[in-house]
Amino acid sequence: MDARKTDRMASAVFWFIGCIALGILAFIVVEILGRGLIKAFTPSFFAGKPRALSEGGGIGPMIVSTIYLVFLTMLISFPVSVGAAVYLAEFAREGRFTRFIRFCLDSLGTVPSIVFAIFGMTMFMFYLNWRTCLLAGALTMALLNLPVLLRSAEEALRLVPDTYREASMSLGADRWTTVKKVVLPTAMPGIITGTILPLGRIMGESAVVIFTVGVFVRAIPISPFSPAAPLAGYIWYVQSEAIVPDYRAIVNGGAAVLLVLIFLINFGTRRLAKYYSKRKSLGG
Amino acid sequence: MSDNNDRNKMQVSNLNMYYGDFKALEDITIDFASCCITALIGPSGCGKSTLVRCLNRMNDLIEDSRVEGSITLDGEDINRPGYDVISLRRRVGMVFQRPNPFPKSIYENVAYGPRLVGIKDKEELDYIVEDSLKKAALWDEVKKNLNESGQRLSGGQQQRLCIARVIAVQPEVILFDEPCSAIDPISTQKIEDLMAELKKNYTMVIVTHNMQQAARVSDYTAFMLVEEQGEPGRIVEFGETNTMFTNPSDKRTENYITGRFG
Repeated sequence: MDARKTDRMASAVFWFIGCIALGILAFIVVEILGRGLIKAFTPSFFAGKPRALSEGGGIGPMIVSTIYLVFLTMLISFPVSVGAAVYLAEFAREGRFTRFIRFCLDSLGTVPSIVFAIFGMTMFMFYLNWRTCLLAGALTMALLNLPVLLRSAEEALRLVPDTYREASMSLGADRWTTVKKVVLPTAMPGIITGTILPLGRIMGESAVVIFTVGVFVRAIPISPFSPAAPLAGYIWYVQSEAIVPDYRAIVNGGAAVLLVLIFLINFGTRRLAKYYSKRKSLGG
Repeated sequence: MSDNNDRNKMQVSNLNMYYGDFKALEDITIDFASCCITALIGPSGCGKSTLVRCLNRMNDLIEDSRVEGSITLDGEDINRPGYDVISLRRRVGMVFQRPNPFPKSIYENVAYGPRLVGIKDKEELDYIVEDSLKKAALWDEVKKNLNESGQRLSGGQQQRLCIARVIAVQPEVILFDEPCSAIDPISTQKIEDLMAELKKNYTMVIVTHNMQQAARVSDYTAFMLVEEQGEPGRIVEFGETNTMFTNPSDKRTENYITGRFG
């Protein structure tokens, strides 16, 4: 077989494998949206209140809980992880201490979420005597996300060419000014893109939610200390515990809503990253 | 030359420079005359860039680097404990091998240095930006789009933008680390003309592997060499550029500038 034929064969094979991956994804999306999309876009469902016994309950408070939890978790974990990433990438001298930090992070990153959930519950419910609430969930979730967020932020910082740092320092800037005015703005689109995976993980995480936030609420949560019921946990609850007759429809609708939410957040994050990269090249 | 101290902006004497255990420079003694251009030439890896980076202490950024001997700016030892590195780098500016404008607008690139020292007044910044771009011979090409990204300019324009960025800090010395190695001949010509113009007000040091360039732009030339691999770089010969290129006193210099090696 000559080289050109082999090449054509190879590209056909890889094209086919690519199609399989795409096909599986498409099947899942179509299946979930097909079962739940109509329900998801029914106003009485996505904006309505849940019911404990009768059919026709909605998931309004659950959608709010989900977004609230994502927001609160990011509010806690974003500054911490970016700050730690700046330390590791810009200030720390490589040595035993940084190797130890990295080892801890990698270990933390592979701990199953149920372990974090139990830890969160022990910490906040038993030790601090809180009731289940958004803040407890967000703090636990922040721990869960810290390794991934930190590592991706560090990666984004390391992608900033050293020539920028040199230029800034040679103009008489100190290290912190260089980080603040050149390195961070340059890395920001990458850092923001790096939050997409953790964002999806927060939305989909059920173990932490079940143990620390709650699985059922009637009212829209306002305070970070109020109990809430993010969708992932609520879906589990309805499927396995609830006694409403239309539980199948609620589960399907809820799954579809969750999927749409994840698409929206993904899209929004990308837009934000794009906005940042445009702004930084134009000044500011 | 070293007997004429007030004409010398910077003086290096008996400098040894190390990266960890590796000795990169040995026994470097050289003076940089005020308002003159001094060229450092020599084959790759002979320590030209290392030497120039000692002059604004950019080597500090490399872990385990250290120097012995003295480097003075206006008679003051720049490696003295407690010497203000930040102010040193403002007085001794640097243009790098690859044009490295920040991913910011042309205006913000030039205003970066002045902002660092706390200049916030819009009018003053406008004036500095215009003045620096004019001195870098770039103003006419960019005055209509100061808000465009500095990285959209051509390589040669980017390098002049970097020169403007340095000028905006009002340095006394400007170090050029192979400033033309990454840009085309026409832009190179423009930068050489610019250097000749800037000589009135600034002391300049240029590292170049291009001997014609050294001959064209510089008043003094130092030829550096690493004798054997693993040995430190040393200065073989230092003197007026004309003499050096027409009548070198060292055989190795002659061999190098006539193109027999390197």
